[in-house]
Amino acid sequence: MIAGGAAAAVPGSPPPPATRLSGTDGAVRVTGLRKAFPSKRGRVEALRGVDLSVAAGQIYGFLGPNGAGKTTALRILTTLLRADAGEVVVAGLDVGAHPAAVRRRIGYVGQRGGADIEATGRENLVLQGRLYGMGRHETERRADELIELLDLASFCRRIARSYSGGQRRRLEVALGIVHRPDVLFLDEPTLGLDPQNRANLWDQLRRLRDTGTTVLLTTHYLDEADQLSDRVAIIDNGLVVAEGTPEELRGRYPVGVTISPRPGFADLAAVATELGREPLVREARIEGETIRVEIDSATTGMAAIFDLLRARGVEVLGVSLREPSLDDVFLHETGRSLRDAGDPVSMEAIAS
Amino acid sequence: MTFLLQTALLARRRILETLRQPIWVFMGLSVPLMYLALFAPLLKPLAGGPGFPGGSVLDVFVPGILALMAFGSGMGAGWIVIGELESGVIERLRVTPASRLALVLGTVLRDVLMFVVPAALVLVVATPFGFDPHWAGLAILLGLLALLTAACSAGSAALGITLKQIGSLAAVVTGLQLPLTLLAGVLLPLSLGPGWLQGLAHANPMYYAVEAARALASGTLASATVAEGFGVTGAAALLAIWWGTRAYRRAMA
Repeated sequence: MIAGGAAAAVPGSPPPPATRLSGTDGAVRVTGLRKAFPSKRGRVEALRGVDLSVAAGQIYGFLGPNGAGKTTALRILTTLLRADAGEVVVAGLDVGAHPAAVRRRIGYVGQRGGADIEATGRENLVLQGRLYGMGRHETERRADELIELLDLASFCRRIARSYSGGQRRRLEVALGIVHRPDVLFLDEPTLGLDPQNRANLWDQLRRLRDTGTTVLLTTHYLDEADQLSDRVAIIDNGLVVAEGTPEELRGRYPVGVTISPRPGFADLAAVATELGREPLVREARIEGETIRVEIDSATTGMAAIFDLLRARGVEVLGVSLREPSLDDVFLHETGRSLRDAGDPVSMEAIAS
Repeated sequence: MTFLLQTALLARRRILETLRQPIWVFMGLSVPLMYLALFAPLLKPLAGGPGFPGGSVLDVFVPGILALMAFGSGMGAGWIVIGELESGVIERLRVTPASRLALVLGTVLRDVLMFVVPAALVLVVATPFGFDPHWAGLAILLGLLALLTAACSAGSAALGITLKQIGSLAAVVTGLQLPLTLLAGVLLPLSLGPGWLQGLAHANPMYYAVEAARALASGTLASATVAEGFGVTGAAALLAIWWGTRAYRRAMA
């Protein structure tokens, strides 16, 4: 934990010393977080008791459909909104009690970005640094460093209005980390980016994590949560419905194997029954002309299946393998698929 | 100290933004100059008549035009603020430790500058046409009207953040503009009008600024009119800045 939190909350006091949170400290701790918004249909509960703990030095993803409450949670963590109830501690400081001190330790890249398009990229960076209380020379040096780090050199002296989507997003990430925050929050950072820029941004976020910054992002992309995040909280309807590493979460669900034998193979049912008795197989059943088998792990289960098929002389035309995804987790926890779980009246829309 | 630095940095950003759009500087200047060139000549025959005691009609007309400029320079702030709500700039700034008062004052200072510089130019242009003011009074007048710009700028920004939509802001501002300026007597002094109109004007804060401006231009420095003008306009500016700061503190976009 970081000492001096209360002192740092005094307006006008010097910024707290640049400390890095170590792995044993929680970068974010949320207990019983609730938030409701008034709307035409009465009060809408955006967050209904969220508990979370994010260890320092990792990339943490909030995965959920639009309207799940991800953005609302992020806005509370970044001091933009006040919680109705619950405890929120960010970088060792209570957000409700010390918003000003929390602001010095966090960076934020909003969904709308927030680059000033009437100024050059470099001007944006320098102003941002100076607003965080950095000296003129220090800010200039830091701006150069970020221009190098995020590859802004070719356009940073142009007015930001002329930037492409990817260029602007890179500038906005740079703006979020000018003051070397302990925790960087990003709201849907790759929304609207092409695959190339998306991959680049992922790399940059990983590099940031590797230098000790905790990165917390919201996303409704399954692959972003799965491949980029070290841990994921799946959020739906204002609650965390599942939490863990992507591997852990996916590992709760079976691998699906679909076997297509040569048509007319007589004893499909007998083979399916025998497959079902295999210790590594959870379930086997006939689906039309195919046998559908569920196994815990592809690495061990597949060998057993093939051994049995060969022993029974089954001629196989094709096998397809379906690894579980975070969408299976979502489907299991909420009864809906993440791909079509969007709520027409989203919490984000109400919040804005 | 930090607060002053932040205010200066944010004002600098705004001024750069304005200088990069010279069309606005040009438009801001052309309106008052058109009033001088195309409207003031209509007043010529009124010289010496009621409402225009002695001297040039411009002595009465120019302070009114300056007040109109002060109003117009401030009222644009809301449009910019809504643009920045939409692009996320305000949200980004709100997550920095920047003082919320500095966020308001950065824009206010630019708007004041954008009033004072063209206003000085109007004075220079009007002088050869017979505008013969009391120069010390004029300096104080610019200070008074700068307060009016500050009130309008902070008020417009607060309205923008509160309403969040250009359409609503435009409706409110244009709805306010005519009653506020007409009932302040910016074009013709209200002393020409009937009693009920003058009575109504007393409910308009801008009326006091315009009355005081005319008194100052004519050299009546130490008067109740001037004191009232500063009192009402200063209070309006403080109230608007407080409102703007509160709006920045609470903005949700």
